[in-house]
Amino acid sequence: MQSRHPPPGSQTSLREANRARIVESLKRHGHLTQVELAGATGLSAATISNIVKELSGAGVVNTAATSRSGRRAVEVTLARRQGLVAGLHISKRHLRVAISDVDRTVVAENHLPLAADHRHDREMDRAALLIGDMVEALDASLSDVLVLGMALPHPIDPASGVISTPGLMRGWDGVAIADSMSERIRLPVFVDTEANLGGLAELRSGAARGFTSAVYIRVGYSIGGSLLINGFPYRGGSGRAGEVGHVMIDPHGPLCGCGNRGCLEAFAGGPALLELFRGDPGIHRLRDLLLRAEAGDSGARRAIADAGRHIGAAAATVSTLFDPELVVIGGEMAEAGELLLAPLRHELERATIGANAPEVVTGTLGDRAAVLGCLAAAIDNVAAEWKPQLR
Amino acid sequence: MTSTEFDGPSTVNEAQIRTEEKPMSQASPAAVTQPTMQPLVSMNGISKNFGAIRALASVDLEVYPGEVVALVGDNGAGKSTLVKILAGVFKPDAGSISLGGTPVIIGNTAEAYELGIATVFQDLALCDNLDVVSNLWLGRELNVRGVLDHVGMETRSWALLRELSARIPSVRARVSTLSGGQRQTVAIARSLIGEPTIVILDEPTAALGVAAAAEVLNLIERLRERGLGVIVISHNITDVQAVSDRIIVLRLGRNNGHFRTDDVTNEIVISAITGASDYSR
Repeated sequence: MQSRHPPPGSQTSLREANRARIVESLKRHGHLTQVELAGATGLSAATISNIVKELSGAGVVNTAATSRSGRRAVEVTLARRQGLVAGLHISKRHLRVAISDVDRTVVAENHLPLAADHRHDREMDRAALLIGDMVEALDASLSDVLVLGMALPHPIDPASGVISTPGLMRGWDGVAIADSMSERIRLPVFVDTEANLGGLAELRSGAARGFTSAVYIRVGYSIGGSLLINGFPYRGGSGRAGEVGHVMIDPHGPLCGCGNRGCLEAFAGGPALLELFRGDPGIHRLRDLLLRAEAGDSGARRAIADAGRHIGAAAATVSTLFDPELVVIGGEMAEAGELLLAPLRHELERATIGANAPEVVTGTLGDRAAVLGCLAAAIDNVAAEWKPQLR
Repeated sequence: MTSTEFDGPSTVNEAQIRTEEKPMSQASPAAVTQPTMQPLVSMNGISKNFGAIRALASVDLEVYPGEVVALVGDNGAGKSTLVKILAGVFKPDAGSISLGGTPVIIGNTAEAYELGIATVFQDLALCDNLDVVSNLWLGRELNVRGVLDHVGMETRSWALLRELSARIPSVRARVSTLSGGQRQTVAIARSLIGEPTIVILDEPTAALGVAAAAEVLNLIERLRERGLGVIVISHNITDVQAVSDRIIVLRLGRNNGHFRTDDVTNEIVISAITGASDYSR
C-alpha cells in the first residue's frame, strides 16, 4: 500500500505529527486556549499558533477570543458539522463513551472501569451524566445529539428489547434497555451487541475493510462474534447470529452461564482463564495475564495458547458453515497477538473443511472498536432519515 | 493507541503447540503456577486503643505489587486509623508491620515517606494559591546549584501527568482554578514524586462528579499498571468493585471479611460491612 504519508523524519512528517498531537489534545479536553495547548502537547507557543492558524484555515478547528486569568487568549475547539452522534459501549468490565459529528470525526472520548457485576440503573445513569458533561464541554447541548448508539456484550431480543439470554448479565436482565436509556437521555437510542458493532467498525475502517465476508470474534471477559456479510453484520432471526462464545466445543465440558454445557466461553472466556490462576496474588485481570505472558511466564503463555486453540475450534465450525475470507480477533485478549493467534490459526486450519482456511488477523481498532461501531451505526441511522442534508 | 506485541518467542510456543495433540476438554495445567511474590506490605495483628476506645483489635492487611486493595467499612470501623498507622501518623499498641518481608517500625510520617509509603488524605492538602508544579514539588523542590530548577520541575511534572494520562490543561494553572477531579489528580501525582511503592488513597471519589470520578478510577488503574500497591478507602461499593482486586472489610475495629473482588457481589460486601453476616475468622 503506497501511503500518502510523507517520509518519516522529514519536516513535513514532523509537522503532521504535531498537528495530530494538537487534535488529540483537543479531543481529550474539549476546548483549550493556545497557551494550554502548548502545555498539553509540549510544543512551543509559536508552533501552536502556526498550526492552529493552518488547521483553522482548513476548517478542522474553530478559534474564538476569550480570557484566562484576566489575559486575552484564543480558545480552540474542534470544528464539527451540524449534528452530533454519541456512542456508548458497556462491556463486562469497561464503559466507553465517544461523541462524533456526522462526518465521523470523533470530537470527545472517555472511559472508565466497571465492576464485574454491574447494574443497569447505575451504569445507565452514569453514562447519561457523562454524555451530558462531554457534550457540554464541546459547547453544545444534548439537543444537538441526534442518536445514541449503544453496545452491550450480549444479544438483545428485537421484540422485547431485553437481553435475550437471561443469566449472562444478571444486573441487566429483564430491562428494555433502549427504552430505558432513551428515557434518561431523551434521545433516540438503539442497541446492538459489542461484537456486531466492533465488527462493523473493523469492516468500515479497520482490519476487515474491503472484505465481503468476514467473521469478527471479540475475546475478552465474554466471547461474542459477528458475521459480516456484504458490508453489514448479519443478525439472524432474533439477533443472536454469530454468538461464537456459545458454540459448543465439548459436550462434557463445564456448565456455562447461558445454561448450556461446554460452550467456548466456559473454556476461553476471561473468567475461565482467570480461574486457572486463583490464589496467585499477581493475576486478577486479563491485563495481568497478558503482562505475565509477555514477561515469559510459561503458565500464562500456556493458558493463552490453550484459549487460542479453543477459539480456533469454534472458529472452524463457523468457517465450515459460513466460509469467510477473513477472521478478525478483537477484544481485550487480542493484545496477546501471535501468542493467541498462532494456536488459533493452527486449530482453525486443522478443523476447517478444504485446503484454504480463512486468514486470521487481530483487529486494528483495539478497545475502541465497539464504540466506533456505535458511532458508525448511529450515523447510518441518522443518514437514513436525513439523507438530503448529508449528500 | 499502544498495543502490546508478543512477537519474540511466540514461534517457539507455536512449535510446541503444533506437536502436542491434547484432547480439547482437558483443563490447562496453568493452575499449578505458584504465587511467588512477596507482599509489599504486611500488617499483622494490629491493635490500637484511644483511651477507652478500642479502634483496632488484631487487624491484618496485606498488599502485593500491582494490586489494588479496597478497605471498606462503616464510619468508625477503623479504616482511617489503620492506614494512619501505616502512614506513620499513629503508632500501633500491638502487632507488626513488614515491608517486602523486612519487619519495620514506622515512627513518624517522614519515616513512612522514606520507606516508600505515600498517602493522599481526603482533604488532599493542596495549596490553592500555588500552581500545579509548585504543589507537586512543595518541600522537595529541585535545585541547580542552590537555585530553583523551574524548568526541570515543569518538564518532569508534564512527563508524570502525561504518564498518568491526566486531563490537566496547564501545569501553571493555580490549583484553585481546577475541578475536583483535577485536584485529586494533582494530589495523587504529588504522592508519586517520591517514587513510592505503596499509595494510600482515602475516599478518592467522594464528592466528585461522574466525569471527575471516572478520571480518578482510570488513574487508579494506571497506578496498578505501574506495579504499585494501592490501598483505597471508599464508601462507594460500585467504585471499589470496579478498581479493586481484593476487598478487606473492617467492622468495629475488627476484620470482618477478606474477599477476592471477582468472587463477591455487592450484597455480600454490604452485609459484611453492616454486620448482617459474620465473616470474621
